[in-house]
Amino acid sequence: MSIQLTLAARYMAGRKLRTFLTTLAVIFGVTIVFGLNGLLPAFSEAFRQNMLASAGKIDLTVTSASGGTFEAEVIAPVRSVNGIDEATPILRQNAILPTGQAVNAVTVVGVDPESFSQVRPHSLVLGRYLQAGDKNALVLGEKLAEEMGLKLGDIFTLPSAAGATDFAVVGVIATQGVLGVEEVYVPLSTAQAMFNQAGRLNTIEARFAAQADRVQVAAAVQAQLGNRFKLGEIEGGGQFLSALAMGQIVLNLFGVLALAMGGFIILNTFRTVVAERRRDIGMLRALGATRGMVVGIILAESLLQGLLGTAIGMLIGAGLAYSLIGLIRPIFEQFLHMSFTGRPVFDIPVFIWALVLGVGITMLSGLLPAISASRVVPLEALRPMVGVAAQRAARRGAWVGAGLIGLAALTLISGAPKAAAAGAFLVLIGLVLAGPALVRPIALLFGRLLTVIFAREGQIAQGNMTRQPGRAAITASAMMIGLALIIACAGMMSSMEEGIGRYLAKSMGSDFLLMPASLVLGGGNVGASPELAQAIRDTPGVQDVTTLRLANSEARGTALQLVGIEPESFARVGGMEFMLGSEAQIYQELRNGRGIILNGVFAVRNPVQLGEWVTLKTPDGERAYQVVGVGSDLLNAKAATGFISQANLAADFHESNDLLLMVNKTPEAEVTAVRSALDGLVKQYPALTVMESTEWRETMIGMFGKVVGSLYFVLIALAIPSLIALVNTLAINVIERTREIGVIRAVGGTRRQVQRMILAESLLLAILGIAFGILAGLWLGYSLVGAVGVVGFKLTYFFPATSVLIATAVGLIFGVIAALLPARQAAQLQIVRALRYE
Amino acid sequence: MAIIQTNNLSKVYGSGDAVVTALRDVSLTVETGEFVAVMGPSGCGKSTLLHLIGGLDRPTAGTIQLDGDDLSRLSDTRLTEVRRRKIGFVFQFFNLIPVLDAVENAALPLILDGMKLAAARATAAEWLQRVGLDGQTSHRPDQLSGGQQQRVAIARALATEPALVLADEPTGNLDSRASDEVAGLLRQVADEWQRAVLMVTHDPRIAAYADRIVFLKDGSIIDQARLNGTPLEGAQLVRDKVEAL
Amino acid sequence: MGGEALWDVKPAQIYSTLARLKESGGICEQTVDGDGEGPDRRVYAITEKGRAELTAWFDLPIEREHQRDEVFTKLMLALATGEAEPHRIIQIQRTKLYQDLHDLTAQRRLANPKTELAHILLLDSIVMHLEADLRWLEMVEARLDEIQRQPVPEPELRPRGRPKKNS
Ligand SMILES: Nc1ncnc2c1ncn2[C@@H]1O[C@H](COP(=O)(O)OP(=O)(O)OP(=O)(O)O)[C@@H](O)[C@H]1O
Ligand SMILES: [Mg+2]
Repeated sequence: MSIQLTLAARYMAGRKLRTFLTTLAVIFGVTIVFGLNGLLPAFSEAFRQNMLASAGKIDLTVTSASGGTFEAEVIAPVRSVNGIDEATPILRQNAILPTGQAVNAVTVVGVDPESFSQVRPHSLVLGRYLQAGDKNALVLGEKLAEEMGLKLGDIFTLPSAAGATDFAVVGVIATQGVLGVEEVYVPLSTAQAMFNQAGRLNTIEARFAAQADRVQVAAAVQAQLGNRFKLGEIEGGGQFLSALAMGQIVLNLFGVLALAMGGFIILNTFRTVVAERRRDIGMLRALGATRGMVVGIILAESLLQGLLGTAIGMLIGAGLAYSLIGLIRPIFEQFLHMSFTGRPVFDIPVFIWALVLGVGITMLSGLLPAISASRVVPLEALRPMVGVAAQRAARRGAWVGAGLIGLAALTLISGAPKAAAAGAFLVLIGLVLAGPALVRPIALLFGRLLTVIFAREGQIAQGNMTRQPGRAAITASAMMIGLALIIACAGMMSSMEEGIGRYLAKSMGSDFLLMPASLVLGGGNVGASPELAQAIRDTPGVQDVTTLRLANSEARGTALQLVGIEPESFARVGGMEFMLGSEAQIYQELRNGRGIILNGVFAVRNPVQLGEWVTLKTPDGERAYQVVGVGSDLLNAKAATGFISQANLAADFHESNDLLLMVNKTPEAEVTAVRSALDGLVKQYPALTVMESTEWRETMIGMFGKVVGSLYFVLIALAIPSLIALVNTLAINVIERTREIGVIRAVGGTRRQVQRMILAESLLLAILGIAFGILAGLWLGYSLVGAVGVVGFKLTYFFPATSVLIATAVGLIFGVIAALLPARQAAQLQIVRALRYE
Repeated sequence: MAIIQTNNLSKVYGSGDAVVTALRDVSLTVETGEFVAVMGPSGCGKSTLLHLIGGLDRPTAGTIQLDGDDLSRLSDTRLTEVRRRKIGFVFQFFNLIPVLDAVENAALPLILDGMKLAAARATAAEWLQRVGLDGQTSHRPDQLSGGQQQRVAIARALATEPALVLADEPTGNLDSRASDEVAGLLRQVADEWQRAVLMVTHDPRIAAYADRIVFLKDGSIIDQARLNGTPLEGAQLVRDKVEAL
Repeated sequence: MGGEALWDVKPAQIYSTLARLKESGGICEQTVDGDGEGPDRRVYAITEKGRAELTAWFDLPIEREHQRDEVFTKLMLALATGEAEPHRIIQIQRTKLYQDLHDLTAQRRLANPKTELAHILLLDSIVMHLEADLRWLEMVEARLDEIQRQPVPEPELRPRGRPKKNS
């Protein structure tokens, strides 16, 4: 082992608590990065496996490029292609089952029994398979039957456009898992009738002839069908996978932030290491060690520290991943109907990523102190030991920091949301740089407050903290990140909560809503045929009804969800917020010709002007629509969406089912009376539920609140490194001041007083961190809220008072907890040994 | 042969009103095998002189020839190399690395110079034996007495076989008996191993071990005493004493 | 006991000492006849008076001799007369003292503490006196300027004979 590593290892072993805390800081970040990165592939892997398991038997799938339905006749050209052994027409639709059932949703697969069995062989478990001539017969998987407690001959009710359709269970087959939603098989014609899609399909599955050239056959099929159609794997997984990818990014971001906090902790440790060892370093220089060697010794130590932390972090991360999988597996299997055999996958890139981050950040944090160590002149070894006197805050850093904050303020004033968001990060950096200069004023300000509680010790604590403004500021910086994250997220959340309330009132302002139990699976919801809306219109006490319909398309390379509205009634009952165009005119223009309102999500990706033409993919080819407005509603705030008239939706996309109905009552009608009338009408449509809008809005906001609540827990957990930072700094301080503490005890200070002194100092440090955190958090939150506005979701910033209180409380609690161990250590110092300590 | 030769060496600290002239035109020569003591009141510039000669600091004016090199002209890297190869330091506070044991401490300059660890340890162990520290080679500094620590420091200073050993108050922290041992050891360094030894001390008895004493005052050499001769004359002194009875 | 050097005495010295003691009456001489082979041997014995004197010597403390310091005298005269440079006097004396100290420490290093401890202790006594002298010189040197500033007192003129007239 080289001298650098020997020295590093020995020095680290000599300061066990500090080494432990510093390592912990690395461990925390690496655990998150490594564990979760290892875990996520398990999800996508499990998902892919499930896909392949069913898709493996299907050689080719044909779907419409737009994702919609198409004429049944398309089957003929497919069959005609040389090399296609058999092709089968399918109408597949997700159906949400009425609440109270063991299963929430199934995929209804309308099949032509004979050809379907050819393409997708099945193994019968009970009863018989579907036969030609069956009408309301249904076959389902073994597992689903078991879960729903269905036996042969039982009735299975599925929601349909006409309300509900009853089926008799005629057979049970071995389960074929697809996409987590269980499939039930019904005759094609029945399905077409049920979903109002007479003579239409949305999938063709085909089997290749033996020895056919797969690529050639696929190309031939594509040539036959043209670009209205898409070949390939089963669709629908992409969304899930991209959600996973998004999750991965967010989790990695958390990991990186945790490691950044770790970086500050390491920085403090190594600054202390260098300060503590000036004599040793000077000695080494006197003995002929070059500057490079000195840098090497410190970096070797940080390398060792990083490796140690990373290795342990990887172990814990792996453990975390395995135990999380154990927790998640049953959830997956029950709710997503996916067999989850995945294990965490720790492949080489995950190792490398964790290693690069863990060791990289540690060594990066060690670099500055290492460089300052190399500046130690040999003479330092010879100067007699002088106690650590007050350090002066670095002037230059303070000015640069102030400059950055000033710049950030300018971006804020400029009103450009993107610049302001970037400016928020400048604030973070600026605070870190200006930190040391702010330590004294803040300490003086709050120190006075502290002396109220700690009459004698407060003064000493305040003096002690300001002695090492650099160290205090770095500690505060670590805390700042943790707390700022809490406050910024909370600021966003509370603004969104208010914003959602406002948007709900605007776009869902009707008295009643009739909606599917789940609004998540856009294309998968079964709507209601137009008769329902008509029946409601005829109900006494109802003044107005408007409906929303849904189809999928693509424009300018972006997947676009199309909402069909009836402009006139929509303007009266529903509504949205417009960013471009005047409201009255827009609805007018929507009715004439092909007009479209695009929402912010789409407009951000593809900037559009009023009057511009966009080409939409429809099941029958491309159609040009003219942009009449840009605006957003809440339901579709997350997806790129276009709003067109229902007439156009029916003509171009063959979609005339109502997915969501909004109802206004007459002013004099009784709420309860209208509601019970609506309940009666909806009974035949198990997919729809009647809700009073106020009630629904409250549930929505309540749900949002729950999400926010759980998010707080994650954020508070993420703030844990700031606790480590505090403990580390206090431990460093106690060691550094061993002799002084000895003197205090020798001249009559009690153990309790020493403890209180450390506690006071810890609280003061925490207050510093809190102050930084609140400032940075509010700034970050404010500019992020502004940035959300860019997506067409205009929010007013709400001061997150609660979370400022929470962050303050968390910070103070951390301050108390952090003081426990160092205070004990300080109080238990033996006076004589402390006095002899060098 | 002259190992060190300084010419009108001056060192000024600070600037403006706060200038301190720590050394003023000091010209000093030390030969191989010569043991020179530097004495003088506190603050007269003894340590400063040693630091300049040891390449730990740079002079304001004047030159220092060390074994042919002009130290005031060398780059930091070269100076570091000179320190590593040609100079051994012994300090008042021993300055051992606390986390290394006796052998490792003594071997440190060898290791820094790139010697293989095993070889460095062997050489260091040999030197520890020569300075009379046999049993405690695997002890850490905090397990050694002051005198033993200073022996380790001397072994460390000698391990690279430097031409010059510099000692700044090497007995400053030791009792009289350990002081005598350390001073005797430095005498041996000059006599047996033919190194030049330059030592700063406040203790006349320790200075008397040297071949020559240089007296400094206010940064200048005010006097030099060459102590030659044999113990025989000392014997005469004792005889007189006995006779006086 | 305590090393060769300490007990190494010349015969002539012994005889002169014995003669002195006999004269003062501290010892008396008895002649013993040789047994025919060797010469006659003289044997000395302590007298009553001699024993009393020895007891008194052991019992009384030894008076140290102060003020017989020639260096001090030299310095004072140099200061008072200006005939010599006081610094030079100090330097010369210091070199001498260091030379002695150097020789002594060398000798002391050669002495074997296992067999010659008495000798070493005697050496230490001299070493310490030399050290004290050196420290004293150091002190004087440091304060030489101060002494020079304190004027030598003018001797008081005591008129001898009759006072002059017309004064
Ligand atoms: N880094 C420095 N900056 C300013 N002045 C210094 C510095 N180092 C030494 N001095 C001054 O230079 C003078 C000589 O200092 P030096 O350390 O050489 O004295 P010394 O003879 O070794 O004293 P001592 O016997 O007390 O160790 C002193 O007046 C001291 O104040
Ligand atoms: Mg000194």
